[in-house]
Amino acid sequence: MPVNAEKEITKLWKNLHSAQKEICSTYYRWREAALEVAGPDADPTDIALKAAEVFGRDMGKNLLPRMNWLKGEEGFMMNLGRSLAGIWVTEGGIAFAEKGENPGEILIRCTRCPWPTVAKAYGVPMEEVALTRERLFQTMLKDVSVFMNVDVRIEMLKAIPRGEGEYLFRLYKAT
Amino acid sequence: MAKVLFDWDYSSYPGAKAYPHLFKPIQIGNLTVPNRIKYAATEDNLNDHNGFITDADVAYMRSRAEGVVGGLCFMQGVYMDKPGKGQGYVGQAACWDDKYIPGLKSIADAIHEKKAIAGFQLMDCGRVGAVEVESGHAPSTVPQRLRIFKPMYEMTHAEVKEMIQQHVDAARRGVEAGFDVMEISGIVGYLISNFLSSYTNRRTDEYGGDIRGRCQAMVEIIQGVKEVCGPDIPVGIRLCSDELLDDVRGNTPEESMVTYKMAEEAGADYISCTLGWQESIYPVISRDIPQGNWLYLAKRAKEHVNIPIQMAYRLFTPDKPNQAIGDEELDIWEICRSMIADPLMPKKVLEGREDEVRHCVACNLCLARLFRDAPMTCYINPRCAHEHDEAFTPQATDEEKEIMIVGAGPAGLECAYVAAQRGHEVHVYDKRDALGGTLLEASKAPYGDEELMTCVNFQKTMCEKAGVEFHLGEAVTEQLIADEMPDSVVLATGPTYPEVPDQDSGNVVNVLDVLSGKADVGESVVVWGNRKPGIGAALFLAKQGKKVTIVGREKTAGFDINPSFKWRYMIYLKQNGVMAYNDCDIEEIGDGEIIVKTYDGYRFPVQCDTVVLSEREANDALKKTVQSEGIELFVIGDALVPRNLSSAVHDGYRIGLRI
Repeated sequence: MPVNAEKEITKLWKNLHSAQKEICSTYYRWREAALEVAGPDADPTDIALKAAEVFGRDMGKNLLPRMNWLKGEEGFMMNLGRSLAGIWVTEGGIAFAEKGENPGEILIRCTRCPWPTVAKAYGVPMEEVALTRERLFQTMLKDVSVFMNVDVRIEMLKAIPRGEGEYLFRLYKAT
Repeated sequence: MAKVLFDWDYSSYPGAKAYPHLFKPIQIGNLTVPNRIKYAATEDNLNDHNGFITDADVAYMRSRAEGVVGGLCFMQGVYMDKPGKGQGYVGQAACWDDKYIPGLKSIADAIHEKKAIAGFQLMDCGRVGAVEVESGHAPSTVPQRLRIFKPMYEMTHAEVKEMIQQHVDAARRGVEAGFDVMEISGIVGYLISNFLSSYTNRRTDEYGGDIRGRCQAMVEIIQGVKEVCGPDIPVGIRLCSDELLDDVRGNTPEESMVTYKMAEEAGADYISCTLGWQESIYPVISRDIPQGNWLYLAKRAKEHVNIPIQMAYRLFTPDKPNQAIGDEELDIWEICRSMIADPLMPKKVLEGREDEVRHCVACNLCLARLFRDAPMTCYINPRCAHEHDEAFTPQATDEEKEIMIVGAGPAGLECAYVAAQRGHEVHVYDKRDALGGTLLEASKAPYGDEELMTCVNFQKTMCEKAGVEFHLGEAVTEQLIADEMPDSVVLATGPTYPEVPDQDSGNVVNVLDVLSGKADVGESVVVWGNRKPGIGAALFLAKQGKKVTIVGREKTAGFDINPSFKWRYMIYLKQNGVMAYNDCDIEEIGDGEIIVKTYDGYRFPVQCDTVVLSEREANDALKKTVQSEGIELFVIGDALVPRNLSSAVHDGYRIGLRI
């Protein structure tokens, strides 16, 4: 059987990483376009956060068909955490969800993220990168909260672009 | 004394003896219904996009009215608001103005022509509505789970009141149009069910809160509709006995029973017992659900209320509802899809012609089309929704022909009886000894596919009654055609299968041999082809504990399965551990493995000891022979283009009409 597995996997792996990098680059190219249209008085961070809301709204809709309360609150929160981590993995990050200390609390860790590296190439402030990620997740959860009639929230505790070594998000249900 | 609209005496009919409980009267409100049969309100998308009734819809309803032999015949639910927020289907009938009354009256008259009881249904589609506008109305603003539905916005208190009044006004129009029974739709995600469910009703005013509060809108609608209907027109409601929305925190079954009790207290004269929502993740009416599976819910409903309970939902044959009525677990047999497939089904049962019933195969194509703005059609009944069109009705031929049909599968048999009914002399040849063609094997696939053979059983009866001559076990050759010299030849020979590329020593078998048990299949199998035949074979083998992989050229597995059923097959594949490589092909078959090539050129090996061929190709056999003899030729079914059972039946019917 003339299949060179190493060659096939290498080809796939390279193409996957190129695609992931291109996702980040495309976003920042669009950011530049938006800034040019918005003019010199616009605050780039405001525009980035608005973009995060637009993205988050649509990405949140993708979560709804998979929402499932059958495993109870804890199972629901863990599945939600895994979904958010999964988005990061698709983008090229290393991310996972784990149980927090409090009941129903989920921690989402990302120990490697492609976004700050690409952002740097486009001269984007690192704080904007961190805030954009936080706003993206927060917006995604808005529809989820309404849909499930549960007030689910997320807060950023650590961020790679702030030099804190990893991203750490706390996903929890507001009382 | 209860009102009797039409006199019916079933005592001399064989069906009344075989199914005595189905053909005994029942009182609903102050109305006597002579039997226990109801054609349930079903959208058909046949009406004008402004909501006016068309001749096509009148003809469609007339044929169903004939079928219920004096029972209840309901027209589709009407939407009741001018902006169309409650409109869920592009061809849905409207009733927000008196200008619709003449059209609605034509339906009531058509039903009465057949001495059946005309039912009118009020249906604001709520969460699944707003088909022609940007957004719809709902008790609360809850995001849609499925993107195909429009966003919904919370109704103000005044809008709720207005909506209730719209039901009352529409009911009055229904009465003026001449309908005999009024029904409110409160099921599957439509507006009333949105108010009832804890999933979609988060209101804090008197129309929300606990289950009694969530019932308030329904209660006011029932009371208002009762008032305009008066004592002689019964008012019923369709309600979920179990929403099957536990994954999104919908009502519990106990709460659903509270809705039943409150409907009864508000004055409902009967309840149509349903289950599930369009957003539910559980299957309810597809072929994999056993017949009679949900009767326990009707029984439970009867334990909670004292008004008649009706039910459809996987009750396709008269035996189970007859038994359930006899056991006092059900009062009226509702029929929907079974009368889409055969509008005269109950009539045939009554007349002892059960073998002439064309049974629904629960494929849900009818529903899939409605959700996609297409007119009603039926997978198995080519005449469905063409009742008004003479071109779809077999007419006696002016020129009798001798017709040779090659192939006794669904396409050939359909063509055979239609042509024979028209006066042709029809001979059906098949090299096999049995009728059914490739359906004989296809019906061996799991999850209810044995029901597909009901199609062939029906066709066999119809052929026999129309005088078709069968020549089974007789292969058609060039010589036979030359000897017989028929006027027309119909090639319904089924598909062929592609040649196997670069086979070293792989064990390659045909899908038909696998399903019939003739092939020797190893423990690790690759099925080549990701359409329905391949999926059926994959599941058949996976059920035997084999490790199965599907490799197919279509972008998604089950490309040819209609969307309302396809999701079930995707779950079956997952549950049975079947991996599907879509948008791929087999590049090479070797010893113990194959090489899969993706659409963009990646290659990888998959270990297997057997490859099952399920990809099909058109069949040209005998075509040139027939043409060279100057004989009229038709090619139908998979021989023309490999597709599905529906295409075979529709091809056969249309050519049967044309010859």
